[in-house]
Amino acid sequence: MKKPYTLLNKAEPYLWILPSIILMSIFIIIPIGFVFRMSISQVTKAGLVKGIIGFKNFEKVLSGAKFGMVLKNTVVWTVYVVVLSTVLGFILALLLNNEFKGRKIARAIVVFPWATTLVIQASVWKFIINIDYGSLNTLLKTLGIISSNVNWTPTPEAFFAWEIACGIFVTIPFVCFTALSGLQSIDSSYYEAAIVDGANYWQKLFNITIPLVKPSLTVATVLNIIYVFNSFPIVWTITKGDPANRTDTLVTYLYKLAFYNGKQGEAAAVSVIGFLILLVCASVYMVSTLKKGDE
Amino acid sequence: MTLDSARINYGKLLSRILLYFVVSLICIVILYPYFVMFLTALKSREEIFAPNGTIFPKVWMWENFVEIWKRAPMAQYMLNSILIASGSTAIAMVCGIPAAYALARMKFKGQTAFLGFIIVSQMFAPVVLLIGIYKVMQVLNLTNSLLGLIFINAAFNQAFTIWLLRGTFMSISAEMEQAATIDGCNRVQAMFKILLPVAAPGIVTTLIFIFINAWNEFTVALCLISTDTIKPLTVGINIFNGYNIIEWQYLFAASIFAIVPVVILFMSIEKNLTSGLTAGGVKG
Repeated sequence: MKKPYTLLNKAEPYLWILPSIILMSIFIIIPIGFVFRMSISQVTKAGLVKGIIGFKNFEKVLSGAKFGMVLKNTVVWTVYVVVLSTVLGFILALLLNNEFKGRKIARAIVVFPWATTLVIQASVWKFIINIDYGSLNTLLKTLGIISSNVNWTPTPEAFFAWEIACGIFVTIPFVCFTALSGLQSIDSSYYEAAIVDGANYWQKLFNITIPLVKPSLTVATVLNIIYVFNSFPIVWTITKGDPANRTDTLVTYLYKLAFYNGKQGEAAAVSVIGFLILLVCASVYMVSTLKKGDE
Repeated sequence: MTLDSARINYGKLLSRILLYFVVSLICIVILYPYFVMFLTALKSREEIFAPNGTIFPKVWMWENFVEIWKRAPMAQYMLNSILIASGSTAIAMVCGIPAAYALARMKFKGQTAFLGFIIVSQMFAPVVLLIGIYKVMQVLNLTNSLLGLIFINAAFNQAFTIWLLRGTFMSISAEMEQAATIDGCNRVQAMFKILLPVAAPGIVTTLIFIFINAWNEFTVALCLISTDTIKPLTVGINIFNGYNIIEWQYLFAASIFAIVPVVILFMSIEKNLTSGLTAGGVKG
């Protein structure tokens, strides 16, 4: 029965993955190719690709007065959001892993920021921290904690800190739920054995819980590094990277280069730089955690 | 003995109270922006900008929720969001199910390469590729069209679709399908008749997750869509977010319409989704 179809059988798996490959090729791979080519080409203001000019776009970007600051912002943004949301999300998962009345409600509430589109969350935070009519001031005045409006965003750095806080806020649920599913898959016999051995809470946490949740957290962290690094709506909605690029990250910077300043070649170079940084970070992180796991 | 157990109970009670306190506090902080959104949506413009504002509206302006439908093509935005989200989900599933099936059930050369390709594709967010995407859209004549957005959302959600579905399929034993093939079913029939019904919970989870992602997408739509009548909600509601004046009450009233459907959907899949995400990753 099987023999006449050998060639077809060999080709069969590729037919199954073909639709997916076509879809991703047209809408992801070809755009990647375009971006790489534009990064080494001369591109007119109207977006026409002229000729290959080597690394001139990269030189222009790297020698730009703002680029160092934008890069630093991106690193600060990514590190703070990823690290703090991971720590806080994990702690929240530990709390929610306890049996208590109303746990289902608490879980449902934690879903909110994950399900809400970023642009809307960012708008609300922008409203909350406004100096003149923001609701944080209203709340604190009503509670009698402050007597007159506080300027929560006196400097661009303060604005950026609020953007980071917003980023942490929206990232916590994802970490929390991945950690929670890891926590719930831990066999309770480990803990029973530890209790017999007389281990205290912290010993159980560091010797059983954390090592066993680590694989889930590693996945969550790698995804988070990628998403947070590339996250656009929060900074865009709250400050648009202003004033004078002081709250820009790479993605808002390249968006402005491409669509406001007509410098698509340079924007493409920024894209490529961002990709390379991300590739290095993600692979270093993955390799190091995988190695540690093997030991 | 009695003293000792009393002390333990006291400690337990204290930690219980602490747990409730901390969890409630966190829940209040998480819900705070939503309170703000809801209460602001019910205020008048004058009240929002008044120097001595109050937490609750003095006059509850329920008519704001009606007004937004008159001031903006909200029904159109909502329809566009539904079309984009369901179109993207349909295409992502039609392409993703066979790919996930092949990865879970067959062995072939280039399997790891394909998985690697999927992971690397995740490193490019649409925003980084916007210039390239725009060029492709120009070639395909899909700029400023719903169909273009549908394809992009489907493509950028392929990785998640395949990841989640592959995990689901792998957790189901292949025995039943093999038995069906012996009985004369071909692979496609075996998949449709046996695997897919069993995998239904995982498929529904994936489906809803892609739907929500596409519904919430903002950046690509902002860049590609310029005609007001084909904007999705996430972009369209910014009609109230003008350069000079922000109509916060309308912006937030409209936002609530954009949030509520997906929050409810999300709650329904939260448990399956997270175990699926980590399972796919750990096994991969």
